[in-house]
Amino acid sequence: MLAIALFAFAGCAALCLAMDKHFTELLGRKPRPEQLLGLRVVGWLLLALALTAAVDHRGWAVGLAELFGMLMAGLCLWVFALPYRPRWLLGLALLSLVLAPFSALGLI
Amino acid sequence: MKEGFRQAMAWLHTWAGLIFGWLLFAIFLTGTMSYFKPEITRWSQPEVPVRALDLPLALSKAQDYLQRNAADAPSWFIEPPNERTPGITVGWRGGDGPRGFTRKTLDAETGEEIVTRQTRGGDFFYRFHFQLEMPYPWGRWLATFAALMMLVGLVTGIITHKKIFKEFFTFRPGKGQRSWLDGHNAIGVLALPFHLMISYSSLVIFMYMVMPAPILASYDNEQGYFNEVFGGRDSVKASGEKVALQPLPELYRQVLAQAPDARIIWLDVQRPGDRNAQVLFIPDGHERVAVQRGAGWRFNGADGSLAWSARPETLAGTISGGFYGLHMASFAGPLLRWLYFFFGLAGTAVIGTGLVMWLGKRQLKHAKSGTQPFELRLVEVLNIASMSGLILGVAGFFWANRLLPVALEGRAQWEVNAFFAVWLASLVHAVLRPGRRAWGEQLALAALSWAALPLLNALTTGQGLNRSIAAGDWAMAGFDLTALGCGLLFAWTASKMLRQPVQAPKRAPKPAKAAPQPTREAEAS
Repeated sequence: MLAIALFAFAGCAALCLAMDKHFTELLGRKPRPEQLLGLRVVGWLLLALALTAAVDHRGWAVGLAELFGMLMAGLCLWVFALPYRPRWLLGLALLSLVLAPFSALGLI
Repeated sequence: MKEGFRQAMAWLHTWAGLIFGWLLFAIFLTGTMSYFKPEITRWSQPEVPVRALDLPLALSKAQDYLQRNAADAPSWFIEPPNERTPGITVGWRGGDGPRGFTRKTLDAETGEEIVTRQTRGGDFFYRFHFQLEMPYPWGRWLATFAALMMLVGLVTGIITHKKIFKEFFTFRPGKGQRSWLDGHNAIGVLALPFHLMISYSSLVIFMYMVMPAPILASYDNEQGYFNEVFGGRDSVKASGEKVALQPLPELYRQVLAQAPDARIIWLDVQRPGDRNAQVLFIPDGHERVAVQRGAGWRFNGADGSLAWSARPETLAGTISGGFYGLHMASFAGPLLRWLYFFFGLAGTAVIGTGLVMWLGKRQLKHAKSGTQPFELRLVEVLNIASMSGLILGVAGFFWANRLLPVALEGRAQWEVNAFFAVWLASLVHAVLRPGRRAWGEQLALAALSWAALPLLNALTTGQGLNRSIAAGDWAMAGFDLTALGCGLLFAWTASKMLRQPVQAPKRAPKPAKAAPQPTREAEAS
């Protein structure tokens, strides 16, 4: 379940950064178009990994419910905390990205 | 044409939201609480001791008790203990209970009857969220219609919201109306799968009531349909020949042999002590999303042979059971259950923010004159009473649960009366006080009454946080900690309301852009 949350959260963050407005605001510089494209690809890839982790965890029915739960929770956390603590969230997203594979492989 | 359509949808969103918002707020809040129905009941009945979970032991104790006290009853039921409910509940037809039905709570280890305070506990909020304490079938109809309006509100909201993807990640706090709209949109869009699922599934759950025509066209009555589709549970006739009932733990072992993961939540014993006795075991279905109606194992009570088990599911049954399971979260473990709880609160917040915005937008137009027309004042009063008033009412229920004498006649009903009395009092208070003051005062009182619940619990039952955390009694501790958290949240909102509103500049020039005429802006504000 942790793996789902980590992949989903990192994926949400990447998809948010894939938007010109948010990239500029959060990272303080203008993105190049290929950066945005890359972030978008990475974001969807991470969400696909979250889906894989969810289905692997408890099958399609419960897995999808868990994925949606984690995804919505991650999005709410990201969007509502972003105006107050943007740097923490970026750090948290990075941490999720690093920890997610270990969690998926059952190492943590 | 397109703009006209969007405007029409915006109109519908505005007015359906306003008219049903107050009711939906109450339905969503009490429904959200129902995800912790057993825990609320557990808190409401502190007399029931927590024991190590031993189902065979509990079943044999329950059987002993029923054999001693209700041997002649035509049927028994047993709710065995589980992780969330520490006691055994037994019941039987006959005896001195209301409507010819007796219900007792037993200690899960000793099998002794526990004298608990009379309370409806979590069941009150659960029933309220779809029956609204109104006589059958009116409450259900009203609640279901409100759910339909919620679905209408969601769909029209999506259509009205122009920049659903462009502003997907957008929340700009501290900007008055702009922030309220951002919050309303973000919390609606981000948890949209939940909102859509919960509103639509509630309609699926009541489809037999809302759309009875297909059934009535083919069957004489609804019961005939249910019997054919789900298998009838006809009452068993007694033969008159006495045969002792097989030990229930033995039958339970047979269930486990067939389904090792099964968790039994309900036993139904028909004609105990007769040759025709039948014992039905119903599982909680935690291992899958779709709730299977009519699932279970039925044994012949006299010889312990399996008489019947669930029939294969149909696709339509799985779909309907799937929506039922998704709504009830019957498959959810603790973590997912908490997520359900928070998304339920998110749904409540969408409704609440919508109501606040409806009023705020219109009050702005009358801000200069200092007076507001009657209809705006009416909406304001109803907003306050339906939101902070309800929160106070719920606290009133829990305070009554701890403070009413245990031996009081009709005690369970007095708790409910306390809930409605406090709610009504908050309406009167909202009428008498100016809007912002009323909000602030009610929220401050809510903060006090919620945050003090753990203390009240500790003083009246001796099962305060110091005891419950040490003993690992997380149902009790979780309730207290959640009440404390709610209290802090209300304290924060109350402090915002009681402070004088900061007169934010109405249209502050964006700092990034070079403001063309800053002087004129300053003069205007």
